[in-house]
Formats: sequence, C-alpha cells, structure tokens
Amino acid sequence: MNELYRAIEGRKDLKGKMKLIGIGTGNSDFEVGFFRKKYEVPFPLFSDEDYSIHKAIGEVRTPYFIGVRLKGDGSAEVFYSKLGGFENANKFLDSMVKLSGL
Amino acid sequence: MAIKKHISLMWMLGLLVIFIWTPAVSGQSTDFKENIYPVEKLKPTDSVLKVKVGDLAPDFTLPAVRGGEMTLSHYRGKKNVVISFVPAAWTPVCSDQWPGYNIAQEFFVQNNTILLGITVDNIPTLYAWTNQMCMGGGELWFPVLSDFYPHGAVAEKYGVLRSDGVSERALFVIDKKGIIRYIDVHDINERPRLEVLVGELQKLEK
Repeated sequence: MNELYRAIEGRKDLKGKMKLIGIGTGNSDFEVGFFRKKYEVPFPLFSDEDYSIHKAIGEVRTPYFIGVRLKGDGSAEVFYSKLGGFENANKFLDSMVKLSGL
Repeated sequence: MAIKKHISLMWMLGLLVIFIWTPAVSGQSTDFKENIYPVEKLKPTDSVLKVKVGDLAPDFTLPAVRGGEMTLSHYRGKKNVVISFVPAAWTPVCSDQWPGYNIAQEFFVQNNTILLGITVDNIPTLYAWTNQMCMGGGELWFPVLSDFYPHGAVAEKYGVLRSDGVSERALFVIDKKGIIRYIDVHDINERPRLEVLVGELQKLEK
C-alpha cells in the first residue's frame, strides 16, 4: 500500500487529483495508530472500531478496494469495488486511472 | 459536465491486527480464503471464574503446536505471562485476535512478557490454523498450546470453560511471581482492545 501511495504521489498528472486513505475495520484508534507507526504508512488511516463503515459497505472481506469519483455537485460515484490486493502498484494505479476516466 | 475533483480509494485493513494484527490477516481477510466458520452471536460469557486477581495462577503443562510441552511455572521469576484463551480455531473473532498480537510483539517484549495462546482444539487443527494465519510470511512469535485432552482441563481449572466445551475469550496477566494481576473474561463475540492489555502490561514489573 505504501508503494501505491508513492506511485500516486510520483505522478505529476495525478497531483491533487487522487488521494489514498485506509480504513481499519474493527480496529481502535490505538491499534490503527500503532499499525501506522510500525509500517510507516504515509497516507491517512482511519479506525472503524464499531464496524459501521464495514457494515455500510456490505461487510466485505479484506483487503478490499473502492474507487470513488467525487463530483462537483458533491455527489460521489463508485467506479471500482473489488476484493483482493494487487501484485504491482503501478499497474494497479494505471487500471484505476483508466477506469476512473480521469 | 462533471467536474473531476478527486478520486478516493478506501483500503480496508485486518489486524493488525492488529493487529494488528499482519493487519491484512484477520478473520475477514482473504488470507483465510473461505475457511472461517460462520458463528452466530453467542451468550457473552458462560462460565464461572475459579481464580481472582491476587491468586497464584494455577500451574499447567500443555503440548505446544511447535512440539514439546510448555509449563506455566517455567516462567516464574523470569517473565511475566499473558494467557490468551480463545474459543476455537477457524472462527471469526479468534482469527483476528492472535494475528493482532503477532504484530504487536514489541509491547510484550518491552514489558518482559511472554504470551501463551490456548484453545481446546487439538494440535493438528491448531497447526493448520496458525499456519494459515501466517500465509503472508513468518510465523507466530508466541507459543500456541492445545488444551484438547483431557478436554479443556486448563480452561476448567481457571473457570473459563463454557458449557458447550469451548473456552471463553479470556485474558489472564500473570506477573513474574506467578500472581494473577489482571483478568478479562471478554464478551466472546468481541475482540479485546489491544490498548487495554498494553496498559496492564505497563503496570507490571519488568
């Protein structure tokens, strides 16, 4: 995930246009903070201690990725929603950019 | 025309566990594939404690997944001990809890504490389950012990054997003198928070 963050930040065409956040399902602030420090996670992580986000999304298994397109009118559109990690951060990023229509 | 401002990606972590869990390893994690047995909400606790804070922890010897046997009193005068009883292998919450302790090893080391994980499952079951926990690499740093035969005898000795034959989700913090300093017979449906245990470890003499 850190590699994906660096891939996003390293692309000038995505500067300010794409952000990465993480959500720790069932984890407390302490647990997420410990995880962030231990693995030197450079992007924002949030705790979902009571699983409320997890439930809202559909109690998916992890790792799970959701790509959301935020529109100018304040609405948001999901363009990617899939279970499973990735082998190559740059290839994954390329596919996300393509799917998003950015 | 739609204005494309931002695209946010939400990455759902395991954990971490905390776990975290490696945090990507949890009962919800794809690392366990489809092998986690779904469990309905259970009665939060279903046993009567037979020990209390301030008691000398009852001694026991149990077989370990890595081979050989472990005896609690072996650590007396050397290390503080946390005993983590979890109800059963291949169930949702249990499959989150120990991976979390696995990544949180430094909290135990900093407080001169060994963790002993215990379930009433047999050794082959625990072998497969703990191997699956570590599919991402490495292995559990703490011993996992089987309280299978005589069935649940150690859980029974501590008063955390439930009426259906599994143990409670219970934590016992034992100091270097063998005295119980903290007990948490937790709601079986929920994972104990790491920060609470860490707080108890920090109270111990190193």
